[in-house]
Amino acid sequence: MVARRLVNAGITIFGIICLNYLLIRLMPGDPSLSIVPRDPKFRGFRDYVIAFFGLDRPQWEQFGIYLQKLFTLDWGTSYQYRRPVADILFHDLGWTLLLVGTSTVITILIGIAIGSYAAVRRGKPFDFVSTGLGIFLYGMPIFWLGLVLQSLFRKNSVVQGWIPWWPTLPTSGYFDDRLIPWNWDLLHVSDAFLHLLLPAATLSLGTLAGISLVMRNSLIDVMTEDFVTTARAKGLSPRQVLRRHILPNGMPPMVSLIALDIAFVLGGAYQVEIIFRYQGIGFRTIEAIGSLDYPLLQFIIVIGGVAVVLANLVSDFLLLWLDPRIKIS
Amino acid sequence: MGTAQVVKVGRPISPFRARATVLSRKLWNIGLQVAHNRTAMIGLIILVFFTFLAFAAPWIAPYGPLQAVTDAFPLSPPDALHPFGTNQFDYDIYSQVIWGTQISLIVGVLAATVASVIGTAVGLVSGFIGGWIDEVMMRFNDVVLSIPWLVLMIVVAARLNYLDLVGIILVIGLTGWSVTARVVRTQVLSLKERMFVERGRMIGSSNAHIVLRHIFPNAFPLIFANTILTVAVSILSESVLAFLNLSVKNNVSWGRVIAEAYQHDALTIGMAAWIIVPGLCIVFLVFGFYLFGYALDEILNPRLRRR
Repeated sequence: MVARRLVNAGITIFGIICLNYLLIRLMPGDPSLSIVPRDPKFRGFRDYVIAFFGLDRPQWEQFGIYLQKLFTLDWGTSYQYRRPVADILFHDLGWTLLLVGTSTVITILIGIAIGSYAAVRRGKPFDFVSTGLGIFLYGMPIFWLGLVLQSLFRKNSVVQGWIPWWPTLPTSGYFDDRLIPWNWDLLHVSDAFLHLLLPAATLSLGTLAGISLVMRNSLIDVMTEDFVTTARAKGLSPRQVLRRHILPNGMPPMVSLIALDIAFVLGGAYQVEIIFRYQGIGFRTIEAIGSLDYPLLQFIIVIGGVAVVLANLVSDFLLLWLDPRIKIS
Repeated sequence: MGTAQVVKVGRPISPFRARATVLSRKLWNIGLQVAHNRTAMIGLIILVFFTFLAFAAPWIAPYGPLQAVTDAFPLSPPDALHPFGTNQFDYDIYSQVIWGTQISLIVGVLAATVASVIGTAVGLVSGFIGGWIDEVMMRFNDVVLSIPWLVLMIVVAARLNYLDLVGIILVIGLTGWSVTARVVRTQVLSLKERMFVERGRMIGSSNAHIVLRHIFPNAFPLIFANTILTVAVSILSESVLAFLNLSVKNNVSWGRVIAEAYQHDALTIGMAAWIIVPGLCIVFLVFGFYLFGYALDEILNPRLRRR
């Protein structure tokens, strides 16, 4: 079982690596254009660049080089930034992890709280409102939500006219440009925190509904089971029934959902990063697609895919540990 | 379900007619259940409203989708003549929002259909045949699901280069079938173990016959409800692509209106409606599809709820 999961994950990652290569090479356009201007007098230089980066070799040979570079962690230099791809990737990855991590933690905590409260108060106003609002938020384009939040919290926003103490929050970047370069001191950290507020709130609001709705449904499913009736019958308080009998059984579906959601959250994070000019993996990917920056692009997409596969793998093992019954099936 | 009615013996009735009778009775029952379901009705009302808007756009919208007005300057703020103002090309934004309904609905419905057809085919084959074919298809499915969907769509959209309506439908349809395939496969795996499949095998039905006449009809309610939810996702996808300037080039969609508003800093120049209204339209349309889809899922697949 465990071995099978690991093998599957390995195959999936290899599939991602192959499909990724195919996707990037299928995109139309000339990658050398991000280095050499489009002008006949640079033709010689352009040919030199193409030969230098090996873009004139047969596809299978380029694919071999790509695989070799991927596994030897020699990821080359970005065409567009003229910096090692690994440097850019790890720098961006940190910021994206901060954004996605913060919002995932917030989402899980709040989502589970709302979902379980709605399940307990099933059919009551709280359930009705939270479920309706949940589906409403679920259907909101994340980029639009980001725009709306930006408009609410920018300087001289409409709300400030009504409520004088309404705060102004930074709406772009991961910290103030004036504070470059980054230092680990209170000033920088607090500024980065302020800059994180709106993007993290956008991402959390956009993904909160999925978690709370599934939590609610999963708990309601468990509540119809016989052992819940038994627990009630033997005189446990509603609180005890919830904590000791319903929640432990309602959790496993949540774990696999949260893992599956990582792909969705990443997609949302891409939108948030664009709207808030938060230069993480997503922002860089979209930029790299625009300029056909092959070295950057081919590893940045693989990183996203591998992250999703790993998240699913971790959730599988977590499930095995949480729910021993799965081993049998 | 409804009351069983005894068909009079003696009067011969063609098998087609009989099937049509059964089907129409089933549909009538479902219709009744929808009418008595508050969630489904709210969703349906929203959907009817937007469908009406889409069809009636030529009569409701004061201007064409890409028609410059003559009585206002570009980027003029809202007034009585142009309730949401005019954009950078002097197009009336109110009209653009109305026309945008068409693209969002068409793209959403057709892309979801494409995704559902592919996903259903993959799910049926993979779940029914099993073995290494299932293994290969599911690994491929995993790969597609793992690559961030936005990247996948952008790359496919870039490949198609010039995007017309068909192009954008294909982009969203071709990248959006993975979830459907997984759902259908799971359902087929459980249907495969049912008695009627074994019975079909016993009397010598071919695999194709069993899949098409026994498994598919039984999985259809699930597929249908799933398609409606996919429509909602497709509409969202279209709006994201349009926002990234990767949607239908010679027409207007809500996502594109928002993109233009964003590029021209609508909020700072006092044209908040330019961003807010098309966004709200997307939210409500998607909300309608979700409500209707969830309610229909509960009506069509009652057993799934009571696991």
